Amino acid sequence: MRSIAGKMKSDRSDRIYYICVTAIAIAALIIVLYPIYFIVIASFSNSNLVNQGKVILWPKGVNFYGYRKILDRSDIWLGYKNTLFYTIAGTMLNLALTLPAAYVLAQSKFRARRVIMTLFVITMYFGGGMIPTYMLVQSLHLTNSVFTMVIMGAVSVYNVIITRTFFESSIPADLHEAAVLDGCSHFRFFLSIVLPLSKAVISVITLYYAVGHWNDFFTALLYLNKDEYQPLQTILRNILISNQAMAGTTGVGEGSYAQQYADQIKFAVIIVSTVPVLCIYPFIQKYFEKGVMIGAVKG
Amino acid sequence: MRQKTKNPLLALKKDWQLWVMILPALVYILIFCYGPMYGIQLAFRKYDYSKGLTGGDWVGLRYFKQYFDSPMFYTTMKNTFVISFFSLVGGFPVPILLALVINSLRQNKLKRVVQTAVYMPYFISTVVMVAILQIMLSPTTGIVSGLLKSLHLIPSSVNLLGTPSAFVPVYVISGIWQSAGWNSIIFIAALSSVDGQLYDAAKVDGASRLQQVIHVELPAIVPTIIILLIMNMGRILSVGFEKTFLMQNDMNLTVSQVISTYTFNVGVQSGQFSFGSAVGLFNTVVNFVFLILANTVSKRVADISLM
Amino acid sequence: MKMKKWLALLLAGSMAAGCLAGCGNGGNSGNSAGASDNAVSSSKSETSGSSSSGGAQQSADKVNLTALISKHSLTKDVNEMEWLNLLEDKVGVTVEWQQISADWDQKKSPMFASGDIPDILVKATNTNDFVTYNGLFENLAPYLDAGQMPNVSRMFEDHPELRVFCTDEEGAIYGLPDYRSMWHAFNRVLYINKTWLDNMNLQVPTTMDELEEVMLAFRDGDPNGNGDTTDEIPLDFNGFPTYLLACFGIPLMNESGGYYVEDGQVKNFRVDERYKTFMIWLRKLYTEGLINEEVLTQDYSKFQSLARGEGTVAKVGVTLGSESGDRFGMELADQYIPLPALKPHADSDESEVYWGYYKDSQCITAATIAMSAKCENKEAAVKLIDGFYDEKTSVEVLFGGMNDVDGCTRDNGDGTYTVLPPADPSIDPGTWKWTNSFADNSPYYFADDMEDRLTMGEDMVRKDSERGPLEPTLKLMEEKCESYPAMFITYSSDDNSTLALNQTTIDNIINPAYAGWLTEPDRDIEAEWDAYVDSVYANGLTENLQIRQAAYEKYMEQLK
Repeated sequence: MRSIAGKMKSDRSDRIYYICVTAIAIAALIIVLYPIYFIVIASFSNSNLVNQGKVILWPKGVNFYGYRKILDRSDIWLGYKNTLFYTIAGTMLNLALTLPAAYVLAQSKFRARRVIMTLFVITMYFGGGMIPTYMLVQSLHLTNSVFTMVIMGAVSVYNVIITRTFFESSIPADLHEAAVLDGCSHFRFFLSIVLPLSKAVISVITLYYAVGHWNDFFTALLYLNKDEYQPLQTILRNILISNQAMAGTTGVGEGSYAQQYADQIKFAVIIVSTVPVLCIYPFIQKYFEKGVMIGAVKG
Repeated sequence: MRQKTKNPLLALKKDWQLWVMILPALVYILIFCYGPMYGIQLAFRKYDYSKGLTGGDWVGLRYFKQYFDSPMFYTTMKNTFVISFFSLVGGFPVPILLALVINSLRQNKLKRVVQTAVYMPYFISTVVMVAILQIMLSPTTGIVSGLLKSLHLIPSSVNLLGTPSAFVPVYVISGIWQSAGWNSIIFIAALSSVDGQLYDAAKVDGASRLQQVIHVELPAIVPTIIILLIMNMGRILSVGFEKTFLMQNDMNLTVSQVISTYTFNVGVQSGQFSFGSAVGLFNTVVNFVFLILANTVSKRVADISLM
Repeated sequence: MKMKKWLALLLAGSMAAGCLAGCGNGGNSGNSAGASDNAVSSSKSETSGSSSSGGAQQSADKVNLTALISKHSLTKDVNEMEWLNLLEDKVGVTVEWQQISADWDQKKSPMFASGDIPDILVKATNTNDFVTYNGLFENLAPYLDAGQMPNVSRMFEDHPELRVFCTDEEGAIYGLPDYRSMWHAFNRVLYINKTWLDNMNLQVPTTMDELEEVMLAFRDGDPNGNGDTTDEIPLDFNGFPTYLLACFGIPLMNESGGYYVEDGQVKNFRVDERYKTFMIWLRKLYTEGLINEEVLTQDYSKFQSLARGEGTVAKVGVTLGSESGDRFGMELADQYIPLPALKPHADSDESEVYWGYYKDSQCITAATIAMSAKCENKEAAVKLIDGFYDEKTSVEVLFGGMNDVDGCTRDNGDGTYTVLPPADPSIDPGTWKWTNSFADNSPYYFADDMEDRLTMGEDMVRKDSERGPLEPTLKLMEEKCESYPAMFITYSSDDNSTLALNQTTIDNIINPAYAGWLTEPDRDIEAEWDAYVDSVYANGLTENLQIRQAAYEKYMEQLK
């Protein structure tokens, strides 16, 4: 559609508009990409040169010490495995809870809707705090359990709201009425009509949830004490800390740990932990592009 | 009103499927979010381990008073408010603008590249983000500060990492850098659903592309904007702890000590659980009041609301 | 209406349920060992099966214990430390280790507050925890008095003050300290680049005034000889140079957070006239462009990499560090020499020139090991705890195992020990130590004569020799200065709370003042001083000094 618009009369103001838009887009691209590019080249440049501001456009003093150091560790692969499990299982649970809940809350005729919504929204702001939550998890025997990582944060009220708004605005109310007349239950309507029509919002919240699980570090920090359950983020953080902790030297030699490689490891860690997430995005992005009835998030 | 007088059992029978669908989420919220809420008492009790978490003596508003009376009350309130106000004012429009720009791009390849690129910084952890800032903004070797100085955009004596007046801009702008792309996803999704007929109608009226943006696209995403604005208002006193904490140094402490870092300093690091809870609760209440205010105003003015 | 009521009921019900779960736990942690204890033991039996893969065969006569260590992140899996396995075998226990290598502080509070702790905690507690979580830890004093801890008793016989350190008002001991005699003088040292001095035909400075002269010459000339006169940084440090402040006459003997003791009074140097004098001097250096612009904002990696220069071209003239190899890298280390504590002016009184001397914190750590009050096998746990304090084991705790598998240390058979060079030549001795042992701040005891009986690694020997120039000053301080034993003093929870709140407020005044005075051109220290001092006192220093003074006096009373 838009390309037809482009071919059509493009008067001067439109041309200026497109030039501006393209210019802004390219500027945004550079602003966003340069620091990332910098991390990439810094990850295999000599860290002293990086710290002295000598590495700007091209890597200098190339070596792959940081990567070798990281990938040599066997626990990193375990971390990948754990995180992958937590992300997949966790996101599936998220969707299983969020989508039906959002569907229900989108039903204007459901009378408990306002109360439940209020109940949900309150939790975005009020919480019992870290210690009572810990005690709850402990009394449910979930400390040191893989299930903690899957269950904690199973419902994000923010995502429920996003999904609910999508359902409200993009699933026409008369569609449901028609379905009800045909004797269609809520279950069936939800499964066979609503879900197929909601690929867009499902992909968005899948991304939100999955990234949340991928980057989740605090849950593991609080509830997991066993090495074999640790997610990638914890392991990477341990690697980072082993570089940074040098500042508080109490004994000799602590600081002598290959300082010039410390930053290199830091940058390599970002790349190792970020790249897999970047890989999921293209699969989900196609839903944005295709424009398959992507609904707005309307009030 | 009439409906509500009906037998609730009857309503339950009619809606049982809906109840089944919402039950898992509801149970989760009740157990994991409401379950620990008894802990809020901690703010009103003197924490004493041997008496159990909530067995300490009831001291009423003592810890709140302690906070209000502390010289740090004004400082932390002011700093928190200033940082979040500018984060909101500076950070909120950028994702919208970005979404409109991306949506207007005609070259599909560029569009895809831009879209994929702008969300990437979001995945960078705060620790690393601050490390990057430290390298790029270093007054002697940082390339960004060097560039700004050579363009005379900032005086050459400024240390962007230390000068108190530079703290808020650096905080806000780096925040935009990191999350504008991510936040634009939702607006892009909203834009892609704009009815094609609306564009056609606008073209028939002779509207330029810019006018289409103003008259077709913007109105289409207004509801999204308002909902997100309301939610953001509810965070007016929540300044990201980690980033502030990592960016803090002796030079900028006068502007960077915010409620969350203060709570961390006295509450967690020094084990003052009760005081920490009280400050945290106060913070939450203020946020909630802002949320309700924003929600009410928007309901009145635009008939859009969260609840 | 009814619907609302119904929902309210549901909500109330589930909240009550949540509350019960929570309250029940709170009760347990206090006195009765109920459900949560069962949870602990069940998880124990469930995991002991999996831990047997670590090599330790589980046999019927062995006792199962759980332990937690907050270890350094370089430290390898403790189950792989052969010396630890041998120790466990000797004591007759099988320990399931929980290993924390980061963010223990955040993890600690929920774990302690919920009462959910393992039997033994290594490097995981501090003295305040024993006050905050009163009842969570086991009092070890009865076991000591019953002679069940011979090694610890030996330490306390040698150093009775250590027992006083860790005993609380009621006579209970919840956490045991460590002690290592060899470490006492390992403070930071001021290094100067001797090659630069030689290149410019300058003498090694003997006063702060001469140091300033030398640094001015560094600034203007091209001492590193690379043709660029602007790339030399005469003086670099990180944050606040406490050590140099001591040269201006403040006796910082075991100073802690700015507090020190002089004439029996607890004082804070931030409101001292000598601090003002020092700041005026430091500000002058900064204004003259002698101090790195980034002293206040650079992170540790940058601080380190700057001093390591580029290849053989040094960038920093004078700086603080702990060991030259570590501070400047192997390529540049030879260019630098350590300086003694410099007197400010040629006519200054030498008997009032000090250095930051942190003997206590270098040699002693409080509360390195503690035991849960809920431990089910207290006898065995006590035996294991005591095992760490055995002389030979202590060497292994700090430097690594004395066996063929670990190969970190050697028993020479004549009462002397040797720390062996790293078995892996690509690793430096420091890293080697941190990888293979519990390392610093662990439960160990090195008697005073171990200083002569233990041969340490090459890095430590160099470190020791670089302390030579400071020795007279440290000796003077030993004789003359009063120590502030801050690390051994505990406070009531109310006092703790007041101290913490006030300190945060105080820091919010003193830190920006320091930063401003150092770097902002339009500030005037003289003019601002009185108002500054008044506001620091008014915002809590008066109260904090009172509390600290009272606690200090009480503590000194106990020592007598």
